[in-house]
Amino acid sequence: MLIENNLVLTRSDPSGMGGTQLIYRVKNYGLTAVNRPQEEISQIHWEVEIIKFKDNTISSFEVCHTTELAKNTLKFYTDKSLNEFIEKSFQYFEELDSLEKMLPQDP
Amino acid sequence: MANVVGSSVCRTAVDEGKPEDWVPGGEKQKIIDPMKMFHELPRELQFITGSEAARESMRRANIDIAIAYPITPQSESMQQAGYLYDEGYIKEYYRAEEEIGTFSAISGASRAGVRSLTATSGPGLMRGMEAISSWPGARTPIIMLNMCRVINTPLAIQPDNIEMSFMLNTGILMLHAENQQDFYDFPLAAICASEQVDVTLPAVVSVDGFFCTHARGPVKVTPEEYKLPPRDGWRSAVPAMDNENPPARISRDAPIQKSNFISYHMHSSWQQEVFAAVERSAKYFRKYLGGLTEIVNPGAEDFIVASGCAVSQAREAVRQEGEQGRKVGLIKLKTIRPFPTEELYEAVKGAKRILIPEFNQAGWLHKEVCSVLYGRTKGVIKNGPRVYGGMTMPTEMILEWLEEFRKEVK
Amino acid sequence: MSLETLRPSPAFKDVLPVEYKDLVEHGPYNNRNGKDKQTVKVTDMGKFKEVIEEHPMCAGCAMTLFIRLTYIGMPNPEHTIVVGTAGCGRLAISQASVPFIYGNYGDTNAVASGLKRGLEVRFPNQAKDVVVMAGDGGLIDIGFQGLMHSWFRREKFTTIMLDNEVYGNTGGQESGMTNHGKVLKMAPRGKFGDKVDALGLAKVAGVDYIARLAPTNPARVARTVRRAIMVAREVGSSYIQAYTSCNIEYSIPTPDVMKDAFEIEKERYGFEEIISPAAKEYLDEVEKKAKKKKTDR
Repeated sequence: MLIENNLVLTRSDPSGMGGTQLIYRVKNYGLTAVNRPQEEISQIHWEVEIIKFKDNTISSFEVCHTTELAKNTLKFYTDKSLNEFIEKSFQYFEELDSLEKMLPQDP
Repeated sequence: MANVVGSSVCRTAVDEGKPEDWVPGGEKQKIIDPMKMFHELPRELQFITGSEAARESMRRANIDIAIAYPITPQSESMQQAGYLYDEGYIKEYYRAEEEIGTFSAISGASRAGVRSLTATSGPGLMRGMEAISSWPGARTPIIMLNMCRVINTPLAIQPDNIEMSFMLNTGILMLHAENQQDFYDFPLAAICASEQVDVTLPAVVSVDGFFCTHARGPVKVTPEEYKLPPRDGWRSAVPAMDNENPPARISRDAPIQKSNFISYHMHSSWQQEVFAAVERSAKYFRKYLGGLTEIVNPGAEDFIVASGCAVSQAREAVRQEGEQGRKVGLIKLKTIRPFPTEELYEAVKGAKRILIPEFNQAGWLHKEVCSVLYGRTKGVIKNGPRVYGGMTMPTEMILEWLEEFRKEVK
Repeated sequence: MSLETLRPSPAFKDVLPVEYKDLVEHGPYNNRNGKDKQTVKVTDMGKFKEVIEEHPMCAGCAMTLFIRLTYIGMPNPEHTIVVGTAGCGRLAISQASVPFIYGNYGDTNAVASGLKRGLEVRFPNQAKDVVVMAGDGGLIDIGFQGLMHSWFRREKFTTIMLDNEVYGNTGGQESGMTNHGKVLKMAPRGKFGDKVDALGLAKVAGVDYIARLAPTNPARVARTVRRAIMVAREVGSSYIQAYTSCNIEYSIPTPDVMKDAFEIEKERYGFEEIISPAAKEYLDEVEKKAKKKKTDR
């Protein structure tokens, strides 16, 4: 099972291909993990994107490839490896948030 | 000789060299009242594929015999059934020659009075259709899992649930699972309903192949040490053909099989009874599934009516509409036979717009809904959106249709 | 039906149907010395209540005689279920006081596979014999796949082919078991292929007990049926192929039906048994035991 901390939404993958999407959020950043059908069950994996939320709604976000966590779409073949990544990312998002707060804010 | 009179039930497992002190998994389980299993037992959340959900369902279903022929995307589930057989949760199991053979054999097994399970997908279902359409008249409780797949040419293995339309008028009980969770719950409920004396009918639980069978989803399962009560072959509208009690005369009297007024009368009253039994099953499904339908946002002006995977897409569309401050209703049809006519009418009687998204070309659900709502509601029923041949139905598609619909019908 | 499950109170005996009383007291139901040997004798036919008596078959039909003899040969009719399919035979079979499953055309051996396994699960301590009785078309044409695969899987039931070499019930079309060159409906220029070698197929498939016969020797029919069912109960698949002429479609005058059976038997349908070593060992054991019991008395 995947970590349920900071899990804000579990939904059917909105692409309509079947599968499930989980959305995690920490402050203004987060990640989505999508699990889509594979012809070979052994090929089932998690596709993970780091995302940046636009506002307070859950599903309004854009994919973010500019963090140190991920420059592109990540793939995880086991829940264990994904969980480890999620734990790491939570910590990173917290730090990112405090760093961003130190930047000069637009007037 | 392994199978002498009086040998143990799980002889085949013994044949395969299980240790002397081996206890079949099924014998370690405790029997529990179905209502307790469905509504009271604690549940553990697992993240599993639809095929694995089917396996966990079978593990708790006290299946006596499972027979199937492999076909994509059903094969994942039926090889899981093989593992359950090896572990001793299913007592008899074999890979049949093809689907006519499979569905004939499973009807023989059901006639023996044991709980019988099979599974298939689109083309396999069509191949065995003659046998399937003879199950209800023979009053054989059978549980069939159907992982929907394209049946038309050109050949494809993708999800498309048009094959369900071919079963609508056979007298078989039909459930349509939305997701992995339903594919765990529905077979258990279908088994219990189909074996009731005033039902005694086969049941099919369909699910949209791949989308559900080959992807993981959250499933809450009951503890595996509990299983359903076994089938009682004598507690049945038509008793088992076991030569322990007088057989039903459906296959005995020559007049029933020949062309004369007695045979016409027999056949018509028999069919009436089969379809009446389908309706009688509704009360059990209401109990076991907590209703034939699930309704989101009752009283809305816009309503989506859906079954199977289309419900999941519609659910997300409803959520996104909600984020925009618009209330859209959703009615999920869990059973297709019995068709939840009154529940549907009650839910949508005040609706202005009714949208029916489907994963097939024929729009069979649209026709079903129209036929029961005709003349009863003022709402406009929209024929679509529909995707087929394995196409996907993104949430945006439903949202666009809703937007158009609102412009068309003020 | 099982005499254990339904045992009428002796007080009600006089109101029971006479057919039931006759079957239990004088017929093949429950009348056995040992476990599986009928006391009713074929030579006494007409003196005891039979499992099948009334039927709507054509006058002089050899198939009817064979079916009657089959029911007399059954070692345990009260625990037997017969599976059949469309064809002439089921008109008689459906009238027997043994449950009969009449399924879709050609589904017999698949239905019997599921039925037999289901009965084994449900009655681990009571042997239930399953017997498929179907025509040549039902088994070798439309039911071919089910037939062969039930043999490949070594399903433990008996298959009896009522071989009248024609589709009698649908009005006389040629079947896979029709002889080469025979002019019948749907074979206006004579049948193209040869008669299917079903015995050979059974042998290749590993059937444990195979027999071919014509109903010329009633006692032999009953004995062959008994052997086939006993082998199916304990060893593996068994198959009987019986010549049961269609006097209508083959224009055999009613008084000459048995003459025809003797002639065909002599010409190409002689009695033949093919028994696997395992089945032979088992049959020897059973039959020796039965003989010993007889001499003991």
